[in-house]
Amino acid sequence: MVGASLSRWSMSYFAVALLALIVAEGLMTAGFGFPVAPIHAPETLALVHLIAIGWLSLLMLGALFQFVPVLVARPLYSDWLPLPTLALLLAGLTALLAGFLQLAGVISVPHSCFPAASILLGAGFSLALWNLGRTLWAARPLPVPARFVTVGLAGIAATALLGIIFALTLGGVISNPALLAIASQGVPVHAIAGLGGWLTFTAMGVSYRLLAMFMLAPELDGTSTRAAFCLGTAALTLLILGGVGAIWMDGNLDFVLIAAATLGLACAALYWKDMIHLYRARKRRVIELNSRMAGFALASLASAVVLTLILALLGVLPRHGGAIAFITAFGWLSGLALAMLYKIIAFMTWLECYGPVLGKRPTPRVQDLVTERVAFPWFLVYFIAVWSGTVALLCDQATLFRVCAGAMLLATVGLCIQFVRTRFLDNVPVPARFPEGVRRPRLLLSLTQPR
Amino acid sequence: MTVEANDALAEQVREALRLVIDPELGYNIVDLGLIYFVGIADGGVANIVMTTTTKGCPATNYLKEGARDGAWSVSGIEFVDVALTYEPPWTPEMMTDEAKEHLGIRGGGGW
Repeated sequence: MVGASLSRWSMSYFAVALLALIVAEGLMTAGFGFPVAPIHAPETLALVHLIAIGWLSLLMLGALFQFVPVLVARPLYSDWLPLPTLALLLAGLTALLAGFLQLAGVISVPHSCFPAASILLGAGFSLALWNLGRTLWAARPLPVPARFVTVGLAGIAATALLGIIFALTLGGVISNPALLAIASQGVPVHAIAGLGGWLTFTAMGVSYRLLAMFMLAPELDGTSTRAAFCLGTAALTLLILGGVGAIWMDGNLDFVLIAAATLGLACAALYWKDMIHLYRARKRRVIELNSRMAGFALASLASAVVLTLILALLGVLPRHGGAIAFITAFGWLSGLALAMLYKIIAFMTWLECYGPVLGKRPTPRVQDLVTERVAFPWFLVYFIAVWSGTVALLCDQATLFRVCAGAMLLATVGLCIQFVRTRFLDNVPVPARFPEGVRRPRLLLSLTQPR
Repeated sequence: MTVEANDALAEQVREALRLVIDPELGYNIVDLGLIYFVGIADGGVANIVMTTTTKGCPATNYLKEGARDGAWSVSGIEFVDVALTYEPPWTPEMMTDEAKEHLGIRGGGGW
């Protein structure tokens, strides 16, 4: 076989991730966590980890199990490991959230949940890294997009390691002074490595390839792309090694963070320039909804970069860190994720249902599985709500922020209904929906039919 | 079989391959330029050389097997050999004018 096949468990990852997003948006609407509670409150930390692990990381892993084989034109190392990986990550996330809720006094459990969370999440991320790492290792030398993903995976390894140290400290397991120092000062390194290193850098790598594929644009491998890769890798290396070094040697952590952020912002600027080039050089004049909405996500990334620079120049960046994290997580990462999911679910469902009858019977197109005119308003509501929510956070308007979160929740539910309709082929015209040999697919599991 | 008869059979195979679409582009693989060669050898053996729009595409195996099944449906074809190649790599320039028009491709279609 040349290249990739259908990832069996990715749909399960997507479903769990979307459920986590809906719950998180529901909690934000209800006023749980920041900005109603302080940014370091246990309630906020529970919410942040529900979004970072439950939504974004599970979605990213589900997508990587399908698309790393596409990036490197080789099959995934193991097709069955994603299931135990998902089970471990879900159990670990549940324990972590329970630990934060214990701290907040919301629930009462006799023993701390943090040690269990660290073991389960550590095991889950290790399995994911092993599976994806072996796939990438076997495909050397790697194309540039796959190198981005590789560095992103190093980012999750570092983020998870720091998270385990924090969790074991909160659980009262660690007493080593060096590790306690990391636990007390390393939160910015953990947060930036997760959001910037793992999620953003990986999303960049995947988008280089997917957007080129979907828009029929030339794949980028030039100086600008390689410079973006080098700057991003340098930023992540400096952040993690320099950050931990500064903590241990009592150095200036702020200086390290500023230096890493400068490199990271330069990387983001080059990436943005590449994406503009990709859109301009595309061969398809009329692009599909996923590519148009990815443009909104890219605009959010640019807004986050510009906002960071303006707030830093005004000297108020630390006060508005929540707003920057919000537009990065929801405008850029979640926006791109929802846009890509819209296409990925249709594409994977098409492969599963109609791939086996190709050449035997007429088949619909992937585009026939979606109804863009219905989904577009939901995307619009989502992005407007995110951008308004960012403004609300900058202006310290907690009530307005909750209204925006409610609109995001509504839009997400609207999009999820579209995803389910796509999955069940409900948008395909009836005469073409079930040609002989085609069955209604399962919601959570992709099956390859015997030919 | 005569050369003319083989050519006619090859044309029938090409026509049958139009049933196979690239799922992403939504157009048949012949007019997209994904079929590089169709030849008929004695004994009704169809040799097809094809590519995909991108290396590593998850639809690769389905497209390959779809081409095999499509060719097999032609009367007189007894055996089908489908070879996949990425030399030369596919570009939009390889599409027919109809396919370019359908997809709204700008200019000549080269990268």
